[in-house]
Amino acid sequence: MRPGLAATFGALATILTAAGAARAEPFKCPHIGGDLVFAQEANINTLDQMTSSTISTRNIAMNIYEALMTRDENNHPILELAEAMTEAPDHLTYTFKLRQGIKFHNGKPMTSADVVASFDRYAKVGNQRSTLDNVASWDAPDASTFVIHMKKVQPTFIEALSSFSVPIVIIPAENRDVPAQQLTNPIGTGPFQLVESVPGSFVKLKRYDDYKPNTTFQERTGFGGYKQACLDTVTFRIVTEPGARVAGLKTGELQAVEDIPAKSATDLKTDKNVVILPLKNWWIQIANPNTSAPPTDNPLIRKAIQAALDMDEVMDAASDGNYQLNVGFQYPNQPDYTDAGKETYNQHNAAVAKKYLTEANYQGEPVVLLTNKDYPSMYNSALVMQQQLQAVGINAQMKVVDWPTSVQMWLNSPQGWNFHFTGWGTQPALGALATMQFLVEPNASYKPKDGKDDPDVLAAWNDMNTQLTEQGRQEAFARMQKLVLERVYAIPFGSYTKLQAVRSNVNGFVPFRIPRMANVWLTH
Amino acid sequence: MAGILMRRLTGALPILLIVSLLTFGLIHMIPGDPAVAIAGMSATPEQIANIRHNLGLDEPLLTQLVRWYANLLQGELGTSLLLGQPVLHVVAVRLPVTLALSAYALVLTLLIGLISGILAALRQNTWIDQVAMVFAMLGISLPNFYLGLLMIILFAVDLRWLPTGGYVPLTSDPLGWLATSTMPAISLALLLAGLLARITRSTMLEVLRQDYIRTARAKGLPERRVVLKHALANAMIPITTVVGIIVSLLLSGSVVTETLFSIPGIGQLLTQAVLNRDYPMVQGGLLMTTALLVLVNIGVDVCYALLDPRVRYERG
Repeated sequence: MRPGLAATFGALATILTAAGAARAEPFKCPHIGGDLVFAQEANINTLDQMTSSTISTRNIAMNIYEALMTRDENNHPILELAEAMTEAPDHLTYTFKLRQGIKFHNGKPMTSADVVASFDRYAKVGNQRSTLDNVASWDAPDASTFVIHMKKVQPTFIEALSSFSVPIVIIPAENRDVPAQQLTNPIGTGPFQLVESVPGSFVKLKRYDDYKPNTTFQERTGFGGYKQACLDTVTFRIVTEPGARVAGLKTGELQAVEDIPAKSATDLKTDKNVVILPLKNWWIQIANPNTSAPPTDNPLIRKAIQAALDMDEVMDAASDGNYQLNVGFQYPNQPDYTDAGKETYNQHNAAVAKKYLTEANYQGEPVVLLTNKDYPSMYNSALVMQQQLQAVGINAQMKVVDWPTSVQMWLNSPQGWNFHFTGWGTQPALGALATMQFLVEPNASYKPKDGKDDPDVLAAWNDMNTQLTEQGRQEAFARMQKLVLERVYAIPFGSYTKLQAVRSNVNGFVPFRIPRMANVWLTH
Repeated sequence: MAGILMRRLTGALPILLIVSLLTFGLIHMIPGDPAVAIAGMSATPEQIANIRHNLGLDEPLLTQLVRWYANLLQGELGTSLLLGQPVLHVVAVRLPVTLALSAYALVLTLLIGLISGILAALRQNTWIDQVAMVFAMLGISLPNFYLGLLMIILFAVDLRWLPTGGYVPLTSDPLGWLATSTMPAISLALLLAGLLARITRSTMLEVLRQDYIRTARAKGLPERRVVLKHALANAMIPITTVVGIIVSLLLSGSVVTETLFSIPGIGQLLTQAVLNRDYPMVQGGLLMTTALLVLVNIGVDVCYALLDPRVRYERG
């Protein structure tokens, strides 16, 4: 079900119910029990999901928490803790009927009062609280009903509400006033509950026996669907060293790992006890230009740089060969994907690059590539780009700092750099709207002069947000992508594939944006 | 003795004050802030700004400094920006991990370093001396990280004797602790034992050439008594100095070893705090580590006084 469907078809009201026709048998755990140890590559800072947008937090927290709405396997919005959603004919009210019999991990039944409290806390401390900017109020007319009142019509509201970037997870009402980052005892409604969290070492979850699966589905899908905890416990162990993750997987101390080095994959492929699971489209490797600083304030210089690039070489170095080339800002398997602007991509044309440089009267001014070694893929892509630019006569120089410094320079320093290297992972997965927000103020990654958006890009963005039909919004996205690529406001290199792996006795583990531990079981 | 202790403890206060000021200044001088680390890779500038506001990072620097000292006077070290837990609590959880591992590594270091150093000195220019010094050089030269990886491949992956990593607290399962701590302790000890062995050898060689050793031997004292009572006792002052440095190194935590073996010690904690600009954690953690190192140095001074009466008389 796509957002704003009522508006699309001009219906009086839309009732969004969970998809999936009833089938005789929903998922049933083939085996119950066991402890699965999952090696996570990054330390976890907090389990307060409302106030964290890190992958390491989401990996664990989204096995604990649930939200009113979430995304399915194809990133479409679906209901999770609500059994029905009604959009009023004037598109200004959304009414959610909550699923009955849901209990929090502390045994307390979930009611609309908890949903109200969760929205109250999110509006105060949520990292993505702008989701609620256009919401006038919310209330709970009875214990099983939650109503959102909009200030004005927003066809994309459901898309934003179902985002898993920083989701509005439902917490018990007594946690309403807990300050940001301070929710150290996470209590949710998900299939697993917290046992112990030792920062820097591990987080242990156990099966929540009173978990009530969403019976309108038969299988797990995306972050939602019919979920069952088959494992007794799941231990997320922090193993930051890649070699140690591979060793642990080989010995069987670790049953699943978040990320294995591409160089180890060849060796692991010969191990019959290990199954390698590529997670395609993990992020889009990208370089953001600084259009406020010379010489990249000149569109001809940016076009010359764009023309010089060989994306195969860049992505090969960035990912050790695990990548897909793709145009633009959506992954190729996504419904919003468009190849608009494809003529600008992967040109690898030195003659065209030199022509633009001559037109721009380029005099060898340095082009500073701002990157970091915390993420080797960013460093490697910058290194290859430097070589390719130098090959056409551009004075490309590297500035290597650590990740927080590079982000701070990108955010706050208008001079001293020309391209900032990063990766967009979560936002492209959420869809075009979430991604293209990076290209308009206040988030404009290309640093428009004086903070003023390119008016054409801004107009396309506004259409993406306000067009009443899905087709209209998709056309606006294609237009915006084409403009951004033609004017070189971003250089997307391609999609990075992450290599995950499990022991062969782990079943039901399907790589996704998080390691989903529901519907995963162990065999001997 | 009490006088030495009092003087040392009083002298520690300005050191702690200077360290805390330097730490505050230096960590705030580094570009980048914790909001970026909390926000993650795909965060929008809006999300980063929200985090900055939530954490009070948009307040003036002086306000943050005054608040930190005000909290310190009340025995509070603040709350970790990343972990959302009191710094005191986090350090209290991590410190025993480092202390236990350090003690294990120190025992191994002393056993290997002292024995090989003494043997090398007593059998100078023999194959024993050469073997001991080659191993000492290897210990010093081999990168900790490489040695750790080799041990994981041999003892964990091939032989399956020990786990590849992880940590079991000593108090909950002593055998589990021994299993998870042995490889990290050996990788730490081999490096430090090499250093200790070389110092022990050179000091012992110097002492063994002294007149009083010759006199002791001339008196017909057994060789064991000459070595242990007369030579080693006199060589202990410089050796104690090195042991003090070794203890300081161990207590500061070994980032490489802790990272490789997934041990949640103080070194990994502070490194992560610096990399993520977790200001309260860096300030509080370093203050506590400094206090610990000051105590170790006081302990070394006390050892000097116990080992050498001249130190007591000169300073008393």
